[in-house]
Amino acid sequence: MGQTGTPATHGSVHDLAVALALDDVAYRRAVDLAGLVADRGDWRRYLDQFLVAVGALLIVAGITAFFAWNWAYLHQMAKFALIQGGIVAAVLIAWRLQLDSIGGRASLFAAAFLVGTLFAVFGQVYQTGADPYGLFLVWAVLILPLALIGRQPGLWLLFQLLLNLALILYWIQVLHPPDGWWQVSQLLGPLVWLATTVMDSRLATWLFALNASAIVIWELAANRGIAWLQGRTYPRVLALIALYTVLGPTVVVIFGAASDHRVNIGVVSPVLFAAAVLLTLWYYQYRKLDLFMLTAALFGTILVVMALAIRLEVIAFGGALFLAVLLIGQVAGAALWLRSIAERRPVAG
Amino acid sequence: MQPAVSLESIARQLESEGLVSEDKFTQAAALIARLRAVQPWYIRAMVGFGAWLASLLLIGFVAGFSFAVGGVTLVGLVLIVTAVWLHRQSDNDFLVQATLAASLAGQGLLAWGVADLMVGDTFKIGCSIVFVQSTLLFFLFPDRIHRVVMVLFATSAMTAWVYAFKLNAVVPVLGPVFAAVLVLIYQNRPALAGAGHGHYARSLETGLMLSAFGSLLLSTIYLLPELGSGFDFYPRPWISTILLGALFLYVGYRTSPVLLDGTGKGASAIVYGLMIAVIVTAWPMPGLLLALIVVILGAANGHRTFIGAGIVFFVVFVSAYFYGIEVSMLTKSIALVSSGVAILIARWLLLRIMGVPAHG
Repeated sequence: MGQTGTPATHGSVHDLAVALALDDVAYRRAVDLAGLVADRGDWRRYLDQFLVAVGALLIVAGITAFFAWNWAYLHQMAKFALIQGGIVAAVLIAWRLQLDSIGGRASLFAAAFLVGTLFAVFGQVYQTGADPYGLFLVWAVLILPLALIGRQPGLWLLFQLLLNLALILYWIQVLHPPDGWWQVSQLLGPLVWLATTVMDSRLATWLFALNASAIVIWELAANRGIAWLQGRTYPRVLALIALYTVLGPTVVVIFGAASDHRVNIGVVSPVLFAAAVLLTLWYYQYRKLDLFMLTAALFGTILVVMALAIRLEVIAFGGALFLAVLLIGQVAGAALWLRSIAERRPVAG
Repeated sequence: MQPAVSLESIARQLESEGLVSEDKFTQAAALIARLRAVQPWYIRAMVGFGAWLASLLLIGFVAGFSFAVGGVTLVGLVLIVTAVWLHRQSDNDFLVQATLAASLAGQGLLAWGVADLMVGDTFKIGCSIVFVQSTLLFFLFPDRIHRVVMVLFATSAMTAWVYAFKLNAVVPVLGPVFAAVLVLIYQNRPALAGAGHGHYARSLETGLMLSAFGSLLLSTIYLLPELGSGFDFYPRPWISTILLGALFLYVGYRTSPVLLDGTGKGASAIVYGLMIAVIVTAWPMPGLLLALIVVILGAANGHRTFIGAGIVFFVVFVSAYFYGIEVSMLTKSIALVSSGVAILIARWLLLRIMGVPAHG
């Protein structure tokens, strides 16, 4: 059997059978050839993995429920002992299972996560009054050794997210407490509030610098052939964050130009946005082909063009038709161009 | 199981065994080329987003005209007919998404317009219209996503209709019925494909699976007693448990020849005993049985989507059930830990009778 070509999945074999109008016998033979029918060994493996996962999950949930039941009555030392015991146990399991195994990686990540939980409980018990940015900064610093040892993108992503949070909170709580209308966004929950913090161009620029430099370092290191850096999840997630930190303020600049309300936005974000898009289109087309990055850059550009069109076009009866046609043209053009790029060279990811 | 096999090699093998003629083999090559040309998900997502937004803008443009009630019906009908016609002309990503959005908007306008024109309970009439148009468009609109949405619309309309007629006692039967039809279609896929109806199968299966999930999740809805509404969303969930239990035993029975190959009658008795124990444990939680049925169907045929969906539903259902149940955290804790321990014992027992030492 060939090992290359279009993979014979459950869906693709069915599509093949439908397209060829295979009869009952031929269909079953195709499924058989694809090796999709579970044999006894497969069943044993499924039962083993499924039941152990479900059993462990229920027990962990039960233990969590038990502590939730009497958390308030637990002595503070017992609380610390529980969390610190969890960190030690997770590190020991990671060491025992090897850092490169799935279990080892998950355990190390759990240990890094529990470090933050420990600080949260510490703040809760002693009411330190410290600014929350300190929690995220110290958390990031303390898990840095784990990230260095662990050599896994997940830990580096956690580290980077903590740095982002620390920077946002330091800016908002210490340097420049916001006084704009977007304070209302706090009422809509922490995620919406975080998303609206980029309405301040100065903070957005620092966030862009933080994430863009992380992508550059990652790509440079990945180009040296280091095996664990070859995955694309980390740079792609950071690219989306970096893009957002310049796209959001750019759109606000476009619409806010007409507003009398004073907002902390400047021309730096649109300039950075244009530079980031151009650099992305060049680097990920000619130096390291990555359709995801190209798609993200094009999508951002389409949003900015649409925002400009809405800003310049008075929304009236015919405006919706014009915008629809403009959008259709841009998206169809982008898809066509991406297809031609993909056909020209093999695609990463 | 050998998941690395390619479609090309399967087509070649079928041809060499005389199960596929040479001209069909050429068709297979064309299909495989088409499957290869499918754009990555993020490009399709961008195209889809653009299509939905553009369609909404177009609908906004149309809505700019002031219509009488009959006009809304007409616009809805025109949108649906145009969407079906356009979609049949091309399978271009953008057109597919745009026609999908236009069709859905058209259905909404049509149902609203017709229900408004007719005399009687608007909600009941609306549900009936949604059911009829979803059923028709399932066959007319040749797109997998659209067909899944049509199944969901039809089953949702059916459920809403049951509530509207205050037939709440029927609600516990709906989920098991959806699941039973799903199993029936799943097992008769080859026959359906051979009869030329194979292109309906995948959408129908996915739609029914999601419908059954949704239906069973109704049993976990928790209403604050303070509200005193007295409305019973899901009366007698044990009815679902009995029906799904029967289906669970049937699916297990279909799987047992492979699972228990070479083991004695004692092993069969233990496996069926465990299955009955699971049914009894799941007495107030029928969703657990549905999750297991979906996982078994997926595992038996290498269908990863079903395996994943079953596991996710299992977690969601258990979380929703334990979140809403009116018992203390201590009772929840005891129930969860004892269930976990029981499952680990069952695993140990199963692996023993299947001749493999338990490890890990």
